[in-house]
Amino acid sequence: MPHPSTLSSLRGLALAAALVGPGLVAASEPAEPPGFRRDVMPVFFRAGCNAGTCHGSARGKDGFMLSLFGYDPKGDYSRIVEQMPGRRVNTAVPEKSLLLLKAVAAVPHTGGKVFTPASPFYKTLRDWIAAGAPDDDASVPETVDVVLSRKAFVFDKAGAGDALTVTAHASDGSKRDVTGLARFFSNNPSVVAIDENGRFKATGPGDTNVFARFGRFTVGAEVIVLPRAEGFAWTNPPAVNFIDRIVFDRLQKLRILPSGLCDDETFLRRVTIDLAARLPTVEEYRSFMADAATDKRHRKIDELLQSDGFVEQWTTIWSEHLRNKGSTFAPNATLPKASDAFQGWIRSQMRSGRPLNEFVAEMVAASGSNISAGPPNFYTMMVNKWNVDPKPLAADVSQLLLGVQIQCAECHNHPFDRWTMDDYYSFVSFFTGIKRISGIEPRERRIYFDTTTEPAKHLVDERPMPARVLGGIEPVPAGSDPRKALATWLTAPDNKLFRENLANRIWAQLMGRGVIEPVDDVRVSNPPTNPALLEALGSRLAELKFDLRGLVRDICNSRTYQLSVTPNETNRLDTRQFSHAKMRRLRADVLLDALTDVTGVPGEFPNFPTGTRAVAFHPRNAGGDGRGESSKQFFHNFGLSPRNAVAASETKKEPTLAQALHLIVGDTLRTRLSSGGVVKRLVAEKATPEAIIEELFILTLTRRPEPGELQELLALAGPGAKDPALYEDIFWSLLNSTEFVFNH
Amino acid sequence: MQNHLTMATLALVSIWGLLPAGAEESTAPVNFEDHVATILNKNCAQCHGDGKQKAGLDFSSYSSLIKGGSGGPAVVAGRSSASPLVQVLIREDPAERMPPDADPLPAEAIAMIRKWIDTGLRENAGSSAAAMRTLGFTPADATAAVADGPPPLPEKLPAVKRPTTLRPLPVLSLASSPRAALAAASGYGFIELLQPDSRASLGDLPFAEGEPQVLRFSRSGKRLLAAGGSPVETGLAAVYDVVTGKRLAAVGREPDAVQAADLSPDERLVALGCTSRLVKVYSTENGKLLYSLDKHTDWVTAVAFSPDGKFLVTGDRGGNLHLWDAKSGGVILPLAEHKAAIRAVAWRSDSGVVASCGEDGLVVWWDVSDGFPVATKPNAHPPQRPPGVTGKLANGVLDCAFGPKGELVTCGRDRTVKLWDARGAEKKTFSLSEESPARVFPTRVTLSFDGTSLLAGDSAGRLHSWKVQ
Repeated sequence: MPHPSTLSSLRGLALAAALVGPGLVAASEPAEPPGFRRDVMPVFFRAGCNAGTCHGSARGKDGFMLSLFGYDPKGDYSRIVEQMPGRRVNTAVPEKSLLLLKAVAAVPHTGGKVFTPASPFYKTLRDWIAAGAPDDDASVPETVDVVLSRKAFVFDKAGAGDALTVTAHASDGSKRDVTGLARFFSNNPSVVAIDENGRFKATGPGDTNVFARFGRFTVGAEVIVLPRAEGFAWTNPPAVNFIDRIVFDRLQKLRILPSGLCDDETFLRRVTIDLAARLPTVEEYRSFMADAATDKRHRKIDELLQSDGFVEQWTTIWSEHLRNKGSTFAPNATLPKASDAFQGWIRSQMRSGRPLNEFVAEMVAASGSNISAGPPNFYTMMVNKWNVDPKPLAADVSQLLLGVQIQCAECHNHPFDRWTMDDYYSFVSFFTGIKRISGIEPRERRIYFDTTTEPAKHLVDERPMPARVLGGIEPVPAGSDPRKALATWLTAPDNKLFRENLANRIWAQLMGRGVIEPVDDVRVSNPPTNPALLEALGSRLAELKFDLRGLVRDICNSRTYQLSVTPNETNRLDTRQFSHAKMRRLRADVLLDALTDVTGVPGEFPNFPTGTRAVAFHPRNAGGDGRGESSKQFFHNFGLSPRNAVAASETKKEPTLAQALHLIVGDTLRTRLSSGGVVKRLVAEKATPEAIIEELFILTLTRRPEPGELQELLALAGPGAKDPALYEDIFWSLLNSTEFVFNH
Repeated sequence: MQNHLTMATLALVSIWGLLPAGAEESTAPVNFEDHVATILNKNCAQCHGDGKQKAGLDFSSYSSLIKGGSGGPAVVAGRSSASPLVQVLIREDPAERMPPDADPLPAEAIAMIRKWIDTGLRENAGSSAAAMRTLGFTPADATAAVADGPPPLPEKLPAVKRPTTLRPLPVLSLASSPRAALAAASGYGFIELLQPDSRASLGDLPFAEGEPQVLRFSRSGKRLLAAGGSPVETGLAAVYDVVTGKRLAAVGREPDAVQAADLSPDERLVALGCTSRLVKVYSTENGKLLYSLDKHTDWVTAVAFSPDGKFLVTGDRGGNLHLWDAKSGGVILPLAEHKAAIRAVAWRSDSGVVASCGEDGLVVWWDVSDGFPVATKPNAHPPQRPPGVTGKLANGVLDCAFGPKGELVTCGRDRTVKLWDARGAEKKTFSLSEESPARVFPTRVTLSFDGTSLLAGDSAGRLHSWKVQ
């Protein structure tokens, strides 16, 4: 509804314009009228006109479309000025332009009133229309950078505040203050709240970032709001390596104390699950606990890094990322033989310790048969369609190997990152020539790059976009397979995005959370929680020549990895700074293997030999979803990656009610509990109820029962009890405990 | 039922048809046996052949292909874009495209099939196949039928004070009297009457409601209909007496400026096209709403009664065009060819043909008897591509109007005005004068009653005229 006073004042304006002659109106015009790109487009952005929920949506709103966040000024000009002559913009009587009438809600507007006739935005639009609504195509210098007044703010208490000043740098070297035209947001309003003019206020202790957006740029500043200083004393925990130095430095700055070191029992369970994808055996437990040497944790890490479990775990992780999934649908070229070839190749790379950058480069530049070689299956499994569509493939490659989701830039410049449509389409051109032809075997496909293929075309103006690396300036040389150049650029040690993406994923696998989280959503507006840490991890990986085991060794040896999950008063609320260990539910395959191991009853996977571990399984014939009947529901409930997408979120980590119910009443545990004979054997071998109970605890939880627990259980059992059913109940309880299902 | 219709269409085509003239005839004409059968055999016969007939379609013989399948005919003579066979071959989405799970057919193959359909579905090289129709038109003395008294010209128009504006409004509407050397052009808050040839002013009519989006003279030349209003505020249509300038009637009270309107030949009906997606038909005698048509799914942008008063044609911003019975408001035919906003429709004086044009760059001459697009001119106003510029250039055709001899005049975003002869062939192109700023384009166009002069208005609010012949 139009506001009465607005309406009347507006009518007044129109009347005034009508009364004074053209000469007089022209005389009051400023020397230089506002420019369309320079002044008018930013108003649409700031006022939200071209946001996705309004006229920036793909089909516009109420018949009027603007390009989302203004990626297409030329098209916007045409739609505003030329599409309906005289309607949206009325250069004869500017105040009668719908652009103005709608914005101030003088006429019905679905979006309501977005500013008042008194605002500077109104004046900009009005003056531009009065000047004849000129286009300023060639004359406007492009914004090349946007800079904030400060990069970091630290506040000692809630209530304190400051303001951002935003400066745009143009291609002609000029600068201008665009604070009044930028949009602002905070990543965590419970730490710092920011208003529409860039003024912000500390609301509670923590660390986060505030951002300003202008044009296609998003720039951020870190804001730390400290908790109370009283009662805080830094305990100076010892640092084992660079990881601890950086993490502890950050914690000290934030007035957070790290938790204590975890005990040996916890460490053994944690590191064995993480590195060997299984629980420690009772024998391993006893020998580790008996070992009095100070370097025993270090030696344990080295031992586990050489295990088969380590190879299988990382083979599965890569196989999931690369969507290795066989099927008998011939046109997709993903037949079981191809899937086996790919899996086998990945496994051999993980076993031999092939540098990860070489591993990636070989796949990216691969050509040849999908059956006789593994790497070409990068272009069958990642696609999983009868034809190679270069756009989703490019997006997946970027998301997997760089952690960057460039697909936003397919239809508009990335709203919260630096990537433009130019970047996107140039990146797509690395894959436009991927072709698959039939090989010798009936279902074999040979992958090659057809260099005669046209590059991708820009969505807005259909300009051909030759292959160019992300952030690059010049296209790669034409005429040969551009993927070689892509692979070289991608996996070079100085490619910060690549090395930090890999390092962050490895860190997240071991710590339960990436320094950037989600790991595959790297963007300006989702910064690392500890930038120095991510940078150091990335540099270290490059320094180690992309040796997976090397970085894993560094992380596991750090005190940070070995911290207890038990929080203290200062770090109870911390979820981002690695001040204590994180409780992590076991991956579906690891959990199934753990149940298999402790009960002695193996799982069954069709087309795999009996005894195959869940972690070594891959869906080689996913006609249904490829899982054996008994394990299918289990994998589904516990969130094993269905490999339908490249996203890290395909693997579900969170606990659910269905999982608890599955273990309580489902087949997986119930059928295994007695049939493996573990309890019967223990009852027969062990002399006392104490010994039986202790063995069950070590087997499942890698610890001895606490005196209280033991007493209660003994009271239940009664002295000298030998009934296996009783111990099966205890076994069942242990396997259904949170402590069993989680790594802690 | 559908098959039956197709057969009827085919029959009509062959009765009315004339063989197309030109080079195509000298080489072997595109036909089923020599050109199309191999393509279909190779790519489609597995599912649509003599073995399997999915969806009831059998492409193994000419007769079975023409017969169509369970979903109706696969091909429509002369209209490849309306033929399901072509439509499924060119779908963007691979999931909907034929053949399934395969690359699309080569462009040449599709072009061959289209040519075969568009040249009349010949069975073989020797068959005198169903061929294209032509635009037959015998000029009648259109003025004689309605002439009673001297041609109406403005005589004693009262003085009108034009509102002061920063600059002229773009010319939103333009019309020619069918009986006199008289034209009307829109301005902000007024309508200027002028001599089409010299552009000499003959006086103004007031239009205090704002912007006249539509101007139409009645068949008698005595009345002028003006419709429009103020965007998202008010909309109406008003009827003026051309001689005295008196406003005789006003109908409609729309919440937005009226986008399209027309006065019926008997001057009893006014049809309004609105942004509300409705076409409303009012009585001029009592101002009452007689009926409204709600078939359009987007703004109604064009409305025109046929000169004989039998039909009403309406177009919308989504490219839909409908032919109605003017008296009852019943739908007669959808006219499906446009892919973007319709900008204008115009009737030929014999009521046999209606022309439409739109932002898709297409000009179509429709045969009203069966809705057949007798002539289509895609990219009728091709814009010049500036060096270094790629992508789609705006090539919309913004207005069209018939002259007395069946000739058509159009204007477009290529900044030109074009004259087409009665057979639909391009005759002449006129460009805006050199001094027009680069981004100014002609918005409206009309031919004088005797067809001797051409008048155009532009987006800067100026008028241009050219002598024709």
